[in-house]
Amino acid sequence: MHTLPQQLANGLFIGSMYGLIAIGYTMVYGIVQLINFAHGEIYMTGAFGALAVYTNLPDGMSIWAALPLMLAGGAIVAVLIAVGAERLAYRPLRNAPRLAPLITAIGLSLALQQAVFLWYPHATAGKHFPQLPGDGFDIGSVSVAPGDIFLVVAAVVCMSALATFVRTSRTGRAMQATAQDPDTAQLMGIDTNRIIVIAFAIGGLFAAVAGLASGLKYGQIKYDMGFQAGLKAFTAAVLGGIGNIYGAMLGGVVLGIAESCASAYISNIPGMQQLGGEGWKNVWAFVLLIIVLLLRPQGLLGERVADRA
Amino acid sequence: MTTTIPQQPTPASAGPKQALLEASGVIMRFGGLTAVRDVSLTVNGGEIVGLIGPNGAGKTTFFNCLTGLYVPTEGTVSYRGTVLPPKPHLVTQAGIARTFQNIRLFANMTVLENVLVGRHTRTREGLFSAIVRGPGFHRAERASRERAMELLEFTGLAAKADHLARNLPYGEQRKLEIARALASEPGLLLLDEPTAGMNPQETRATEELVFAIRDQGIAVLVIEHDMRFIFNLCDRVAVLVQGEKLVEGSSEVVQNDERVIAAYLGEPFEGTPQSAPEAAPADAPESAPAGAPDDDEAPENDEQQENDK
Amino acid sequence: MTDIPLATAEAAVAGTDTGRRAAPYLPMPRTAARAATLAGAVISIASTFMSWTYTTDFPGDLTVSGYPGGLQIMTLIAAILTGVVALGAFGTPGLRWLNPSRSPNSVLLLALATLGTTWYTVIDIAAKLGGFANLDPGGFVAFIGALVLFAGALGLPIDRRPQEPAGAEYYELGRFEKYAAVVRTYVWLREARLHHSDLRVADARKLNPWLQRLVIVVVYALGLKILTFGLATDYSDIFIGYLIVVAVGFWGLGASGLLKQFQQLTHRNRRFSATVGVIAAIAYPFVQNNEHWANLGVSVLIVGTVALGLNIVVGLTGLLDLGYVAFLGVGAYAAALVSGSQFSIWSGVQFPFWAAAITGMVAACVFGVLIGAPTLRLRGDYLAIVTLGFGEIFRIVVRNLDGVSGPKITNGPNGIAQIPDLSVFGYNLGDNHSMGSFTLGRFANYYLLMLLITVIVVLVFTRAADSRIGRSWIAIREDETAATAMGINGFRVKLVAFALGASLAGLAGTVFAHVTNSVVPDPYQFSGPVPPNSAFLLAAVVLGGMGTVSGPILGAALLYVIPEKLDFLSKYELFAFGLALVLIMRFRPEGIIPNRRRQLEFHEDEELAPGNRPMGDDTVPAATAGA
Repeated sequence: MHTLPQQLANGLFIGSMYGLIAIGYTMVYGIVQLINFAHGEIYMTGAFGALAVYTNLPDGMSIWAALPLMLAGGAIVAVLIAVGAERLAYRPLRNAPRLAPLITAIGLSLALQQAVFLWYPHATAGKHFPQLPGDGFDIGSVSVAPGDIFLVVAAVVCMSALATFVRTSRTGRAMQATAQDPDTAQLMGIDTNRIIVIAFAIGGLFAAVAGLASGLKYGQIKYDMGFQAGLKAFTAAVLGGIGNIYGAMLGGVVLGIAESCASAYISNIPGMQQLGGEGWKNVWAFVLLIIVLLLRPQGLLGERVADRA
Repeated sequence: MTTTIPQQPTPASAGPKQALLEASGVIMRFGGLTAVRDVSLTVNGGEIVGLIGPNGAGKTTFFNCLTGLYVPTEGTVSYRGTVLPPKPHLVTQAGIARTFQNIRLFANMTVLENVLVGRHTRTREGLFSAIVRGPGFHRAERASRERAMELLEFTGLAAKADHLARNLPYGEQRKLEIARALASEPGLLLLDEPTAGMNPQETRATEELVFAIRDQGIAVLVIEHDMRFIFNLCDRVAVLVQGEKLVEGSSEVVQNDERVIAAYLGEPFEGTPQSAPEAAPADAPESAPAGAPDDDEAPENDEQQENDK
Repeated sequence: MTDIPLATAEAAVAGTDTGRRAAPYLPMPRTAARAATLAGAVISIASTFMSWTYTTDFPGDLTVSGYPGGLQIMTLIAAILTGVVALGAFGTPGLRWLNPSRSPNSVLLLALATLGTTWYTVIDIAAKLGGFANLDPGGFVAFIGALVLFAGALGLPIDRRPQEPAGAEYYELGRFEKYAAVVRTYVWLREARLHHSDLRVADARKLNPWLQRLVIVVVYALGLKILTFGLATDYSDIFIGYLIVVAVGFWGLGASGLLKQFQQLTHRNRRFSATVGVIAAIAYPFVQNNEHWANLGVSVLIVGTVALGLNIVVGLTGLLDLGYVAFLGVGAYAAALVSGSQFSIWSGVQFPFWAAAITGMVAACVFGVLIGAPTLRLRGDYLAIVTLGFGEIFRIVVRNLDGVSGPKITNGPNGIAQIPDLSVFGYNLGDNHSMGSFTLGRFANYYLLMLLITVIVVLVFTRAADSRIGRSWIAIREDETAATAMGINGFRVKLVAFALGASLAGLAGTVFAHVTNSVVPDPYQFSGPVPPNSAFLLAAVVLGGMGTVSGPILGAALLYVIPEKLDFLSKYELFAFGLALVLIMRFRPEGIIPNRRRQLEFHEDEELAPGNRPMGDDTVPAATAGA
C-alpha cells in the first residue's frame, strides 16, 4: 500500500482533480487578471448539482445511465453560477481598484458556501454520493478504484478537448488574443465580454467535472469542500504558471504527487518523524507554494511578463 | 511662471558640458519583438534634450529602461558616472525623476500629499519615528511641507494644495506630476509627453516651466509629439524610429534631415524630393520651410555619438 | 485653462453643483403637507401614551395607558425628533439650528424612521399574537399617525436629483432599454434619488470655543446613552425597533447637516474630542455596570482593534490579507505559552503582562515577515491567496502539535486551558475591585486594559498614516508603479505595513488569550461561527470604511452586536457577511464612514474662499498642533 508506485498513482489521481479545478483559475486569470476566489465554491456547487440530479432520478436506475445526467446537472449549476458571478459581480468592477473584485470574490465564496450549508437539504454534514460499481483492482503493485479511473479519464478528455478548442477554433484564437492584450483584441473586433464569459463558463464546466469526480472518488461531498480544494487548485495553477492551461494540469499533478509523497515519506527523514501523515499534507502543499513563489514565481511553464507601464 | 525654484543646494551641480546621463547600447526585447535597438544617448548638465519619433518608435520603452521600470536586455545606463541599478526607486534615489505619458497621480491624495510623496527619497523618518513623534520628526515634516509648498508655488498650484489630485483639471494634473517629480530633487528630469492633450496656451506655459526648471540647473529629457514645442525648447533632439536612433543633433539639423522627414511622412516619391517637406505641415509644421536638407550633418552626428561612448 | 479634456469630466461633475430640484413625492399644497407632518408627529406622540394591545404576551408590556413602554419609546423618540426637526425646517425661531441645511429631506427620513419602527411594532404584535384583532385603539392611532406623518413628509419639497434630460439613453440597461416601461421606471428611480450631501450648512466652527466643547461633551454623552440603551435592550423585538430608529435616524440627521457640523467641531477640537471619546469609553463599564455588558464591550474592543490593525494592511496599503486572524492566534498562543498555565509546555514560565505582550507582538511580527517576504514582491493577488493559505495552515499546524500527530507544543484541539488572569502592577484583573459605589468585575477590568490597547493601536494608526511611511503606503495603494518611480521601495514599505499589522494583531491576541482563559485552534480560521475569524474582520473593515480609524471599529461593533442581540439571525451571519461584501463593493465601496479624502470633496468649494484655511485634511492640523 505504501509503495512508491502507489504514492505516485495516488498523486496522479488527486492531482488530476486539482488540475481540473486549476483550469478555471488559470483561464480567468489569463484573460482578466482576476483570481476568482469563488472558484473553489463553484466546484462544490457542481458536486451538489450532480447529487441533486441523482437524488431526483427514479430508483433503480443504473449509475452508468445516471452519470451523464448528473454531469449535465452539475455543469448547468456550476456554469450558471460562474457566469452569473461574472455578469453581476465582477463585470461592474472591471475598472475599479484591484482590491474591489478580490473582496467581491471572497464575499461570493462565503455566500455560496453558506447558501449550500443553509438551504441544500441536510447539507450541514457530509452528504453521501453514489459510487461507481465494481471493486478496486490492482495494476501491478498499484491498487486503483473505479473513481480514480473516472478522474484520470475525465482529466485527459477535458484537457485534450480544451487544447483543441483553444488552438483550432475561432473563439479559442480570440481567447488567446484577448489574453495577450484585451484592448487591441477589442479593436480587432473581438467581443471581449463574450470571451470573458466563455472563460468563466469553461472554468465552471471543468469544476463541475471535478466536483462529480471527487464525489465518485470519496463517496461523500460537503458544503465546505470547496475551500481547501480551491486553495490547492490555486497552488497548482501558480505552480504550473498562472495563465497557462497546460501548466495548470501539470501543476495539479506535480502538487498531487508532492503531497502524497510528502505524507508518506517525510516521516522517514530523521528529525521529522512526526511531520508526516495526512495531517501535515496540506502544510507541505503550502510550503511548496511558498517555495515556488520564492524561487520561480512565474511557475513551471510560465514566462516572466513585463509590467504594462 | 516667474518664480524660481528655491533650490536646496543642487547636488554637485554638474557643469554645463559634463555628461549627466549616459545610456549606451540599450537594447530591449520583449519575446521576439525588439522595442529598442542599441540606442545610446547622453544628456549633459543644464541641457534640454528632446526625444521624438513616430508612435511606437520605442520612446516610452526607452524611458522605462532609463528609469529602471524595465530591465534592458543589453546595455547600461549610468548617471554621473555610476551605473544605475535597474530598480525604479534606486534610480529616483540617484537623482532622476520622471513623469508619465498617461498621468499617474495618486488620485485620492491631496495635491500637497502627492508632492510630499515625491519627497520620499530625500527624507528619512521611518515608522518608529512617525509613532514616537520626536522633535526630529516634526522638523523633517515641516521642512518637507515647506519645500512642497514652494514647489506648488513654482508650478502655480499652491492655491489648490488641499484639493484631491483627481479633481484637478487636466493641465494642472500635468503640472502636479512635474511638481511631484521635482520634489525628489532630481539632477535630471524625464518628461513623457508633458503637453499631450493641452491647448496652445497651456503648451506655452509648460514650455516656460521647463525653461524655468532648466534654469535651476536641472537637465531635462523630454518626449514629445508637438514639434513646435520640441524645437523651441531643446538644445538637442534625438529621433527614434522603430527602436533605433536615426539622428541626433540641434533642432535645425533634425528638422532638415531627410530621413526624419521620411520617417514621419513615409518615403518621398522617386523624383519629387520637394513634395514631402511641403506636405509636412499636418504633422511637423516646422520642417516645411527648410526645403533642402543638409546631407552632411548627419554623419557628423554619428561621429559625435561614437565619441560619447 | 478653459478646456477640460475627458479625464476630468467626472471631476468637473463632482466639483460643481450639478443642480438639484426641490419637488415633493406626493403633490399637495405646501401648508397641507406641513400641517400633516406636524399633525402626524403629534398623533404618533400621543399614541405612545395609550395602550397598544390587550395582553402582556407581547414583550415589553404595551398594555399600559398613561406612559410609554417598550417599543412605544422608540416611536415616541422618533416622532418627537421628527416633529422638532420639521419645525426647524419650517423656520420656527429657536429651532432652526436643528436643521442647518434647511432641507426637508431630514424630516422625510426621520418620518421614515418613525413609520418604520411604529409599523414594525404594530405588525409584529399582529404577527406574534395572531391578527390585528389584538390591537388596542392606541395601536391603530399609532399606525395612522405614522402614516399621516410620512405622507405629510412626502408632500414637502424634497431635495432631489435634477430631472433626467429628455431623450437620454441608458446603456446600462442593456437589452432592457427596448421596453418603455422599464426605462420609465428607471428614470423615475433616478429622479427619486435624494440629493442633500453637498448642501451648505452654517460653519459650526464660528461658535464660541467653550460652547463648541460643551456640544462635543453633550453629543458624546448622548452617544454613550444611545449605545448603552441599545445594548441593554433585553428582547430582540425592541432591538429591531431601536436599530430602525438609529440607522434611519442617523441618515436623517446627516441630511439635516447636523452631523456635518459636528464633524467640523471634532476636526477643530481634535484633541479635545479624542479625549472626551476616551473618557466616554472609560465610563462605559461604570454606566453599564454588569459583567455581561462588560464582556460584550471587551469582545467588541478586541475585534474592533484587530479590524483596525487589518485596516493598515487593507485600507491604507491596499494589500488583501485573508489570514489576518492567524496573527491574532500567534499572539494568543505565544501569550498562553508564557502565561504560566499548567497546560503550557513551559508551565513554569510566567511572564509579566508587558513581557507577554511583547512576546506576542514579536512572534506575530516574525510570522508576518515570513509570510510577507516571499509574496510581497509579487502581484497583490498572490498575497491574498497565500495569506488565505496561511490562515488555514496555522489552524492545521496548531491542531497537529499535540504530541501525537506532531511535536507537543499546543495541545492540539484541546488547546491551552486555565490561563491565569493577568496582574498589572499588582492589580489582579481577575478579581472584583470596588471603586466607590461601583464594582469593577473581571470583564470590566479586561475592558479597561483592552481600551488602553485600542487607544495605542488608534494612535499608531493615525500617526503612521500621517507621516512619510503612511503616505508611501497610500501611494502604493493608489498606483504602485508611480510610487516606485517616486523613489519608494515598494517591497520594503509593504513589508513594514504587513509586519506592523501582524504585530498589532499579536498584541490584541495576548489580551484575547487571557480574557477567554484558554486558547483553542478553532476561532482562528477564515470563516467560522465565532467572530474573530478573517471573514468577519474583513467584513468589519469593508463595512465600516477602508482607510479610516472609526470605520473598522464601528463595523466590528455592528457585526458583533447585531447577531448577539438577534440570535435568530446568527445562523445567517456568514451568508450575510459574504453577500454584504459583494453588495458593498458594488454599491458603496467607501463603507459607512467614508474616508476623509472623500469628505474633502464636499469641502472643496468652501476652501476656495481666501483665508479660509481648509480643515478637511487630518494631516495639516496634526502637524501644526504638534509643532
